Amino acid sequence: MATVMSAVPQISLQGVHKKYPNGTVALRDVTLMIPKQDFVFLVGPSGAGKSTLVRLLIREEKVTDGKIHVEGQDLSRLKRRHLPFLRRKIGMVFQDFKLLPNLTVFQNVAFALRVTEGALRHLKPKVEEVLSIVGLEGKENKFPDQLSGGEQQRVAIARALVHDPRIFLADEPTGNLDPATSWEIIQLLLQINARGTTVLMATHNREIVDVMRRRVVAIESGQIVRDEDAGGYHAPALESR
Amino acid sequence: MHRLWNRVDFAFSSAWQNFWRNAAVSIASVLIVWVVLLALGSLLLVLHSLDQIVALEKTKASAISVYLADTTPLSSAMDFKLHLESDPRVTAVTYVSKDQAMARFRQLPALDPSVIDTLGTNPLPASLDVTVKDIRDLGAIDQAVRLSPLVDRSPATNYEPNVIDKIILLARVAGIAGLVLIIGLTGLSVFIIMLTIRTAIYLRRKEIEVMKLVGATDWFVRWPFIVEGLFVGVVGAVVAVLIVGFGYHPAVVNLQSVLIFVPLSFDQYYLRLVLAAMLGFGLLLGSVGSYLGVRRFLKQ
Repeated sequence: MATVMSAVPQISLQGVHKKYPNGTVALRDVTLMIPKQDFVFLVGPSGAGKSTLVRLLIREEKVTDGKIHVEGQDLSRLKRRHLPFLRRKIGMVFQDFKLLPNLTVFQNVAFALRVTEGALRHLKPKVEEVLSIVGLEGKENKFPDQLSGGEQQRVAIARALVHDPRIFLADEPTGNLDPATSWEIIQLLLQINARGTTVLMATHNREIVDVMRRRVVAIESGQIVRDEDAGGYHAPALESR
Repeated sequence: MHRLWNRVDFAFSSAWQNFWRNAAVSIASVLIVWVVLLALGSLLLVLHSLDQIVALEKTKASAISVYLADTTPLSSAMDFKLHLESDPRVTAVTYVSKDQAMARFRQLPALDPSVIDTLGTNPLPASLDVTVKDIRDLGAIDQAVRLSPLVDRSPATNYEPNVIDKIILLARVAGIAGLVLIIGLTGLSVFIIMLTIRTAIYLRRKEIEVMKLVGATDWFVRWPFIVEGLFVGVVGAVVAVLIVGFGYHPAVVNLQSVLIFVPLSFDQYYLRLVLAAMLGFGLLLGSVGSYLGVRRFLKQ
């Protein structure tokens, strides 16, 4: 288990503030170091700032104050034209999967390679490889609406893996899934982590967090209130969720 | 090479899908481009024809034909010719007999010679074609010759002081009116192409979100929409080019038969320039419209 200060951080946030144009303060003075190959649960109530933090890491939003470094790059100085190349190092999945309904499983995964102009000669073997990692062999020609929620999330994970990302961000990946399926997805994320990819997962799923005993970063009202190496979800304010 | 092909293939196939996915809006934008280019092409050709007329009238401007009454004996006509030649303002006087006048008349384009033959007699008068040094003296000469009893009364000369000014004015009015119309239509067509592209972007918003998320570059995301705009411009232009290209010659021929005294002619070289300009303008409309369409949306 990696500890907070044990290595050069792959992701670092220093004194990060985020205030939206409408005046909402989403993050206040957040400092967080995540070393390579770490597995981190980001927990907290809705509106605590988890999604904002994830969006800042892929620079879908810019910080109001403070510094974020990802893979050695200062995100506030990153030029817009270099942003796509940062994103190719980061795999992302969401609660709503964000699959394209008119494309098959194979095409959904291949889409990520095509639009980033990856070498097309390796497209087919690469797509087959990631589909076998997520256990979807034989479903290549199905459309998303022919799949269960868990399978759809696997497609999204496969798509996030085609670029061999160094960081994997998952924003409520089990939010729409039943408990058994959620566990399958977590197993998959553990496998990805075991292959050397850093995983940051924002979640509400108390059971999973409590059982896994991995690093837990808890956010409330835009501030980090807890950062434990083998933590649980336990925060009284969240019990009702 | 591989990547370039991928980019081109993706841009064109997406653009083609976009075009048909919101076919109604796409076709509307093709139509407006077509109308703009048709107006542009027609205006350029009309102005060119007016230019041709002005140029010809200008060469004729330093001369007037003084029509002689049919009763004038040739000797009197020659005396009158000498009298005119002695005028210091005059550079040359040419006698044109009734037969010569008829021969000239027969050479007018689009005039049916059989119609003239049915006349039996020659109604055209003999004339003295007077060329002056300074066209500003034409008016005074015209006044002077009208006093001579030898001169025909209906009409006495072919002097029309304001014809060139009138044609130039007509060309200017037509030019300005056409330009205003085309500027207005251009603005409208750019706006409609922009709307078409915005609609296409809206219909593809999920794909664009995924593309950006997995690390597609801005230009990779933009190209399909730019190509779609260019496609709209090209299709509109090609239809307009075909109509103008094939319609110009019959139009000139028809006008020649109606306006027999107006020196219209078919100018192949100028037509090619106009068609090229129309195609270029169509591409310009398409690219400007689609650029404006993608610019704001993909900014942030």
